[in-house]
Amino acid sequence: MRLLLVEDDSMIGVSIRKGLRDEGYTVDWVQDGRAAEVAIETEPYALVLLDLGLPHKDGLAVLASLRARHRRVPVLVITARDAVPDRIKGLDLGADDYLVKPFDLDELAARIRAVLRRHEGRAEPLLAFGGLILDPATHSLKQRGRDVPVSAREFALLAALLERPGTTLSRAQLEERLYGWGEEVASNSIEVHVHNLRKKLGEGAIRTVRGVGYSIAHEDEASA
Amino acid sequence: MSIRKNLFVALLSALLLVGLAASAATYIAARNEANELFDYQLRQMALSLRDQTLQSQNEIFPEFDYDFIVQVWDSAGTRVYLSDQNIALPQSGLGFDTVPVNGEDWRTFTMSNGVKVIQVAQPMGLRRDRAAAIALRILAPLLASIPLFALLIWLLVGRGLRPLADIARALGTRAPSSLEPLSEEGLPGEIQPMVAQLNGLLDRLAEAIETQKQFTADAAHELRSPLTALQLQVQLVERARSTEDRHDALEQLKTGIRRASRLVEQLLTMARLDPAVVQARSIIELDELAASVAADFETLAAAKRVGLRLGRIGPARVDGVPQALRTLLGNLVDNAIRYTPEGGKVTLDAYAEDGRAIFSVTDAGPGIPIEERQRVFDRFYRLPGSDPQGSGLGLAIVRRIAESHRAEIELGEGEAGRGLRVIVRFPAS
Repeated sequence: MRLLLVEDDSMIGVSIRKGLRDEGYTVDWVQDGRAAEVAIETEPYALVLLDLGLPHKDGLAVLASLRARHRRVPVLVITARDAVPDRIKGLDLGADDYLVKPFDLDELAARIRAVLRRHEGRAEPLLAFGGLILDPATHSLKQRGRDVPVSAREFALLAALLERPGTTLSRAQLEERLYGWGEEVASNSIEVHVHNLRKKLGEGAIRTVRGVGYSIAHEDEASA
Repeated sequence: MSIRKNLFVALLSALLLVGLAASAATYIAARNEANELFDYQLRQMALSLRDQTLQSQNEIFPEFDYDFIVQVWDSAGTRVYLSDQNIALPQSGLGFDTVPVNGEDWRTFTMSNGVKVIQVAQPMGLRRDRAAAIALRILAPLLASIPLFALLIWLLVGRGLRPLADIARALGTRAPSSLEPLSEEGLPGEIQPMVAQLNGLLDRLAEAIETQKQFTADAAHELRSPLTALQLQVQLVERARSTEDRHDALEQLKTGIRRASRLVEQLLTMARLDPAVVQARSIIELDELAASVAADFETLAAAKRVGLRLGRIGPARVDGVPQALRTLLGNLVDNAIRYTPEGGKVTLDAYAEDGRAIFSVTDAGPGIPIEERQRVFDRFYRLPGSDPQGSGLGLAIVRRIAESHRAEIELGEGEAGRGLRVIVRFPAS
């Protein structure tokens, strides 16, 4: 999952980025409102963590213009503005959640999962399809009840494919979702990950759609 | 001490004094009137006796009022009649006279009809008694009304002072935190100025409290980010799995704590700069202070490999608060060092020009764009891209201290149009 972190305070930014990377997310980090707008327009993010007190353009203004342009990306506001009117304003302008500083890193991660869950239309916290069960909270993967150890990237790839099961994602799309700025992506990285996953889950677990990309196989196909 | 009692005692005393004077005057007037009346009576009596004596040779005298004494002498000077055997008055000259007899004063009227000399006399004590009786009769009602007056004074003074009691009650029944002004409508002219001043005081107090509240709220808000960073950094320490990770996380945590501490110190400095607090002033040699501050920052500058030096230095005097001025100079030098890259220079000047002491700090940092120069002095304002360790209060504190010394601050460029120069000009002494 690729996230955009918009936070002007360096120490907070460094800490959140490290904490979320440890959780297996890919995190891009900008420190002002204008840069945030540019990033959101150019890259596909699964979620935006938005601080409000930003230089060049205030967080709420960024949020408002985002929603005005019908960008549906989920936004979790993180801010020191804790007054109730501020919270109401943030939520009504289109934020999916509002977290007040100082906050717990674990709570932040849980709320991110909750927002993503709702955005994907799932009620259950677990991602399930084709005999596979992914738990984003613990980064664990089970295939037909059996634990399967996977790396952070592998987990992220599976999670991306399971966002809308059956949809095909191209290599480029997968790269965009998995790798942030400044991360080296070898041209065959995705292929390598898919290959490793097939080794662990079975060849049929991930389907190649020629000329298009990859998708999660249906249950009956997977067991083949 | 009570205004009411004082007024009551004073007015009552005045009333009694006036009453006393009036009584004395009335008594004297009454006595004079009585004297005239009695003298007239004496004369009339003598005249009627003379006529009687002329008409009848029988020497039969009618009954006399025992107040009067009548004596008759013949032409040879022999007393031929005395109405009261116990009292014999010497023959006085014709007309009115007053003679003391046996310690008592007698008023006499003597007249002659050519054959005999008649003298009618009356004790003076009698007249005084009559006069007193008259005076008393006149004054009695007035004197009787003095207690009524006393009561009236007491009540009226109390009523007159009631606005004061009303104000006290109004202040006493309001909520403890209320600083609303008192109503000045319908107040007596003597109390109105006092209430107006009181309202002015309440106003200033409310303003001061508001400023304090605002500052506290701002400070609490500003502390959130550093505290958030600390919380996150601690959690990362907890999660660190390798020694190296833990070491990195702890380093981050230490930086975070340093930042939070610095912010708290700046906040305390800011709070202590309350304009209501009067601090001790003295004459300070600005050039010496500049040199001393430069020495304080030697280590920091050396650690950053920034060259810190004194530029134009000359004798300059300022009348001010030593510690505050040290903070002002220190904050400017601190900023300069912070924003100057390695190898750069920071220059301090302290000199006098046109009778004004001037201090300036020049650095080789990124400077401040013209459009930001007004805002940088705002509390907690930080330039985009500024040092994350900054508190945003440094320049706000500098401005506050400059204001309390009536000094002007100017922002300009450093050498070759780059960097920042901050000039502080103190007023001419």
